[in-house]
Amino acid sequence: MKNIHTKQKETDRKEGMESNIEVWEDLVDIKELILALFICSITALGGYFIAPDNPTKKLLCGISGAIIGFVICAILIKPKRILIEGNKES
Amino acid sequence: MNITLIIHMIIAALVAAIIYTIIGAAPGADETATIAPITLVLVLSGLNGMVVLSFFISAIVACKLIDAVPVSIAGIPAGVMSTPMVEHAMVLKKHGLTDTSIRKIASGAIVGTLVSVPVSLLLAKAIVPFATVIKEYGDPVFFIGAIVLALLSKKRWVALASIIPFALLIQGLRHLYWGLGAVEKGTNVFISFFLGITIGPVILTLLELLDKEKRDGMQKFHRKTIYLKKDEEYIRVPNPFKILTKKELAYSTLASILGSVTFLLSPVGLTTFFGELFAGRVKEPVEKASLAVSCMEALAQATYMAGILIPLIALGIPLSPVALGPGNPLFNAPPVYTLENNMHHLLSNIDIVWATLIGAVIASAFTYFITVKYSQEICRFVFKRIPHEALLGVFFSLVLLLAFVDGGWINIAGVFLVGIVSGTFHRMGVNYGVLFMILYFAPWITSILAG
Repeated sequence: MKNIHTKQKETDRKEGMESNIEVWEDLVDIKELILALFICSITALGGYFIAPDNPTKKLLCGISGAIIGFVICAILIKPKRILIEGNKES
Repeated sequence: MNITLIIHMIIAALVAAIIYTIIGAAPGADETATIAPITLVLVLSGLNGMVVLSFFISAIVACKLIDAVPVSIAGIPAGVMSTPMVEHAMVLKKHGLTDTSIRKIASGAIVGTLVSVPVSLLLAKAIVPFATVIKEYGDPVFFIGAIVLALLSKKRWVALASIIPFALLIQGLRHLYWGLGAVEKGTNVFISFFLGITIGPVILTLLELLDKEKRDGMQKFHRKTIYLKKDEEYIRVPNPFKILTKKELAYSTLASILGSVTFLLSPVGLTTFFGELFAGRVKEPVEKASLAVSCMEALAQATYMAGILIPLIALGIPLSPVALGPGNPLFNAPPVYTLENNMHHLLSNIDIVWATLIGAVIASAFTYFITVKYSQEICRFVFKRIPHEALLGVFFSLVLLLAFVDGGWINIAGVFLVGIVSGTFHRMGVNYGVLFMILYFAPWITSILAG
């Protein structure tokens, strides 16, 4: 595994494509991370504020907003993972 | 209990099983961060306690069970709990036994759940006589708990040194809010500080990104390469008990009992310790690895169940890492639950048992079936379709939302501050459990310090 990682890194460096950082054990692109935080925050707080004046409904609308934000982000942003599938064990 | 309530509980458990089968497969999905906020919202929305409990138990079981997939297929821990298993799962993968690895882990989880529920109920019964004493000294108990937890962690002196300053920060913010009139005097802001601690490391990293030097100095990566092996599909879903050898079944059962008894200790530490202890004596690598993964998973699952059930039934205060972490909203979610009036007080023991059984059985059946039959598809879907940014975004926004609900705009800044401080402590090696406990005894310790 280590060899593969070093090789991967070498090719990345050559192509000048290393731009992702590790946050919470997985890779993210800084700009896209900020975009995701922004989108989800807007949809969550937006949901909370436009909801009818009732604490429970407000909270449920807020959480629905957060989930809508999540779906938007999942559509807009590509995961930073390369999946290699094969029949042989690596 | 009537039919409508049972149907609601079943629906809640099914929804939790589906959601957490997906979230649980994502790399780095920490149980506290993923389960606590959602449970909290359900509690605050005024849902029946039994329905919330079935949801919670199902979420825990599903989240742990599905660990088998990313660990076995890609060698990636799906959460802190599954980190110790990766090494052994990789041995199996090297020998071309990915499918065996998934099955063994999933079966281990089932054994852990089945053993820990009755054992926890017995243990809770045994603790009840001491419960009033423990509860009477709640604050000192949490204080001693924090010290013990600090001493057990790797960076014990850092953890110990962090206790008083962090208590001051928490209580200082609460007094500030009272002074400014942002929060009614006497109301302890709790939930949003708790979430601030959970998301601390992420907030700290975000802050560092503002510093160009730090940003340029960060280790950069291109993509995470994940290897996925194509497996033959199963026609029938195998019986979990037939998957384990007699030895594995016996050791997993023993591990589950030990895990239930030691519910006060950190699950990750225990998993590593007992897993290595049991498997250490086996020489043959494949046999050793499959014994290790099944025992570790059984133990992890058992520690989780006992860690939530025993405090819930016997104490009513969250006195275990699990109850302090993901299970916190079941004990303390003002205004619905407080330490004096929470699920422990509102539900009878029979209620708790029923809700647990419904949650555990539905999640075990659903997630076990899915895990064994569709592991490839789940991995492919999660790795290809769920960006990590979206996961971070949704948790961040939930913290923001609940911070605002708790104390208005100023509390968003307060939670940010709590996040920065706890993130720094966490990076220095302070256990989350220590920080969570401080939230509880901060008023007590500060009043003692003030004389």
